[in-house]
Amino acid sequence: MIRWRNEIKQTAKGLAFLSPWLIGFAVFMALPIGLSLYLSFCDYPLLQPPVFVGLRNYHAMLHDSVFWESLRNTGYYALLTLPAGMIIAIAAALLLNSRVRGISIYRAIIFLPSLVPLVASSMVWLWLFNSRLGLINTLLRYMGVAHPPGWLTTTRWAMPSLAIMSFWGLGNTVVIYLAGLQDVPKELYEAAEIDGASPARQLWHVTLPGISPVIFFNLIMAIIGVVQNFTVPYVMTQGGPDRATYLFTMYLYDNAFSFLHMGYASAMAWVELLIVLILTAIAFWSSRHWVHYQGK
Amino acid sequence: MKRMLKNIGFVLLLIPALAILFFGPRQQAGVPKGRVVVTYWEKWTGPEEQQMKIIVDDFNATVGRKKHIFVQFVSMADIDKKTLIATAAGVPPDIAGLWDNDIAQFASLGALTPLGELARQHGITSKTYKKVYWRACHYHGRLYALVSTPADIALFYNKLIFKSDAAKLRAAGLNPNKAPQTIHELDAYARVLTKFGPNGQLLRAGFLPTEPGWYFPEVFFWFGGHIWNAKTRKFTLTSPEDIAAYRWIASYSKWLGPNAINSFTSAQGNFESAQNPFMLGTLAMEQQGPWMANYIYSYDKRFSTLHCSYAKALVMPLAQRRKNYGWAVAPFPSAVPGLKDVSYCGFDAFVIPRGAKHVKQAFTFIAYVESQPVMERLCSMMSKNSPLRKVSKRFIERNPNPYIDVFEKLASSPNARGLPQIPIMPQVIDELNTEAQAVALLERTPARALQKAQNRLQREYDSYEHVQKLRRAEK
Amino acid sequence: MPEKLPVNMVSKDLLEGNFPATAGESVDRATPSGSAGGPTPPIGRRLMTHALLIGASLIALVPFLWLLDTSFKTESTATQYPPSLIPDPFRWQNYVNLFSERQYHMLLWARNSLTIAVLVVLGTTISSAFVAYGFAKIRFRGRGILFALMLSTMMIPFPVTMVSMFIIFKWLGDHTGVAWLGTFRPLWVPYWFGSAFSIFLLRQFFITIPDELSEAARIDGCSELGIFFRIILPLARPALSVVALFAFLAVWNDFLGPLVYLQHSHQFTLALGLEAFQSQLGGSQWNLLMAASVLVVLPVVILFFIAQRTFIEGIATTGIKG
Repeated sequence: MIRWRNEIKQTAKGLAFLSPWLIGFAVFMALPIGLSLYLSFCDYPLLQPPVFVGLRNYHAMLHDSVFWESLRNTGYYALLTLPAGMIIAIAAALLLNSRVRGISIYRAIIFLPSLVPLVASSMVWLWLFNSRLGLINTLLRYMGVAHPPGWLTTTRWAMPSLAIMSFWGLGNTVVIYLAGLQDVPKELYEAAEIDGASPARQLWHVTLPGISPVIFFNLIMAIIGVVQNFTVPYVMTQGGPDRATYLFTMYLYDNAFSFLHMGYASAMAWVELLIVLILTAIAFWSSRHWVHYQGK
Repeated sequence: MKRMLKNIGFVLLLIPALAILFFGPRQQAGVPKGRVVVTYWEKWTGPEEQQMKIIVDDFNATVGRKKHIFVQFVSMADIDKKTLIATAAGVPPDIAGLWDNDIAQFASLGALTPLGELARQHGITSKTYKKVYWRACHYHGRLYALVSTPADIALFYNKLIFKSDAAKLRAAGLNPNKAPQTIHELDAYARVLTKFGPNGQLLRAGFLPTEPGWYFPEVFFWFGGHIWNAKTRKFTLTSPEDIAAYRWIASYSKWLGPNAINSFTSAQGNFESAQNPFMLGTLAMEQQGPWMANYIYSYDKRFSTLHCSYAKALVMPLAQRRKNYGWAVAPFPSAVPGLKDVSYCGFDAFVIPRGAKHVKQAFTFIAYVESQPVMERLCSMMSKNSPLRKVSKRFIERNPNPYIDVFEKLASSPNARGLPQIPIMPQVIDELNTEAQAVALLERTPARALQKAQNRLQREYDSYEHVQKLRRAEK
Repeated sequence: MPEKLPVNMVSKDLLEGNFPATAGESVDRATPSGSAGGPTPPIGRRLMTHALLIGASLIALVPFLWLLDTSFKTESTATQYPPSLIPDPFRWQNYVNLFSERQYHMLLWARNSLTIAVLVVLGTTISSAFVAYGFAKIRFRGRGILFALMLSTMMIPFPVTMVSMFIIFKWLGDHTGVAWLGTFRPLWVPYWFGSAFSIFLLRQFFITIPDELSEAARIDGCSELGIFFRIILPLARPALSVVALFAFLAVWNDFLGPLVYLQHSHQFTLALGLEAFQSQLGGSQWNLLMAASVLVVLPVVILFFIAQRTFIEGIATTGIKG
């Protein structure tokens, strides 16, 4: 009897401390997501009351070429940035893990770009990528390239330009990999060396499995980041040229706030949620096969 | 040592932060007490912003003081999007300076306050304005907007370049003392006047359809084409005239190569500066509106005062005054023989968003601007023509734009075209701009691009109509 | 609402609640618990490492330098071709003109950004600490499920909720007396209900604080709240500063949130104001734009160099652990 009373007391205390989050979750998470679901079945231009239209929005989505284009663009962006970003970040982390004088300064420098507000870095890179006056093409011309690409003004190079820019801001990911690298127990390396393993084999058999939880974590974060990507293309290219950099979230935003198609935008929001859930589920499921947690 | 540096750094950050936080600027600066504040959002920056501010200040000092109204002028970027969202959010400005192409969308969404009754009270009728503007201020027969300043499109050309290349022009059978009269001639002039550098890059463009690139959705007008048929409510983008228009855009890319054009455009300076390509002479002819005279005078005076000072020239007869200018204006040529004086007559619009707090006071200001003396003063400052039917002789003679009569003629011409009243206009403009860009980059053929736009927009509009039916049924 | 949670900025040690006591050399995040390789590598290898490091640093630094460089040029030298390395004339006046041309706007925007930042940092820190304590120190049924639920909310991107949130805020404004849209409230109030990331971080930290301390206090008759305020919070200073720092950076960086919720230009934050700098008519005043960008970036850079060390000292001197 007393135990039961104690349990209630504990639960009450727990919920009391949790109450801010519980309220917040209900009002700022659950309610909007639920409302989103309802609105996705409506036409709601906000200045007029919502009208139930059934599956019309989803049906329109299937036939909406811009919807598919924005989805393709987001997938293309993911393809360009996820694998390469991972390799670059891990390589940088390995580099920054060296025992070299002044290594902390190098770490600070490489980390710095990730702190810059995206709007500011968009301005800088807009300037860097300017096909006539920008630094990148100036350097390319200096190195003998006669006709350097038009970068953000061409449909071919616009998305790769954004990808290149994203690599500049990988500093925070690098730091996480760095921490992960330093957590790999020395004994494993020593054992590998005794076995006569070359540095390359050590990398493949000791380092990478050792940091696999970190890789997994960063992968999830990167997926969410890609799906949410908005500021950089919005500021730099407004989705152009010819919708080459028109990402999913930008189309969502335009539907909601430029055309006031709140219903359609809500439907898109649900699709975005589903995509993220499916991708993370896949990542989680696959993690069984390649993520090795050290017994901690 | 390090700790001290850290502390210094922290203080260095904290003090200005606190200073800004507590002593930083607040919004409502300079509003006299006891007056109703009318917020007026306007899109203009640069010289036009200053010029409108003069009119606002005058109002505040005269009519405003008498009627206890204070108009607060705020310059806003992305004004159409911001106004729509603010209206949807329930916090709109009292007056918004939108564009003519916003009216249909806003009105169809119920985002605008109808102005019919207020206009009648202030004596504003259909006879007050030139037809092309008055028509575009309506949606489904109701008045939703009034004109702040007109924006008619014509051809600006550099007389000095025409003169210096006169021999070349004559060799090609073209008259260096006149503007091109047809699109065909325009292309011919452009070919002669385009100069290339040693590496084959574009040094001077005779003409580019992508400069300034603001009128892609209206390009069909000069080819006798239409965007849509209001009676059948169907888009007509795949008509031969419309395809001809896009073919014309593509022809420049085919001739020069899209990369050359892109590179040329990227190197251009700010429109609102002395690095404007038309002023610099790197663009010999440009499709522009009357405000160009204002910008040229603001940023490149020499271009408008070749022989004598501006003040001296102002009192000369018009024909003589024009000799003082290095540039000139002619109606933008059309591709249809016999179709003359074609222009897209857009305008900057005054609207009162729905939910505005001070509708009557806002309209008092609008009516003030619409009166002939004030309107002529405003348009004169901005070197634009007047949207009113009654125009004083002095306005034409003393307008800083010595070619204002060309614009007046265009606005009154039977071939003056306004935009159709399509409720999904932002999507239309978005789509047409995108497809025109694709065509200019040679990514799609004109026929394919327009078919794509046609399909998408028609589907979009039909869907809109269907939902409207549902909405009416539910009522 | 930040477009992207700065989750990446957490060292794995923090994630697992490990705070090694060894301060070691001053490094930015993780203290080295051992790096690969034994004796000092041969000179050739070291030179190559140095070369690569310098190369990578250049790539990271050059945009900053270019930004700074352009900010001191005049409009014509900024757009001249080929671009010059040294601004000539050296226009430091750009920074002054920045404030006079658009009048008080930069200061106004800074003030708005700071106001929101202060409210967000305070709210996040306080509320997240509260909630984290509940997750960490109070055992009750269902705690695990709620914790998992909270973690999963970290994966919901902002765009999913932003449209509904906009509509909810409008409804609240219309039906309660309190306006939301057209004010700063949507940008900071939600943070007073905890932020998933901060809660997670603090919970991991609280777990490392031994229960004996709380037990001792409890025996002495201290209430749960008392334990929270008098024992746990003071010990948590380093973790709290981490949370505050990350919250500040997220707000300073936020663009989509202000874009959606702020309508009037006098309310804009620095991020929005900077974007509005781009001329709508094509071409921009690059030199002024770069100068403005420098000013927006500068506080963050300074904060980093300061906080980097605070952060490490915090980790290193956590008294209880080790």
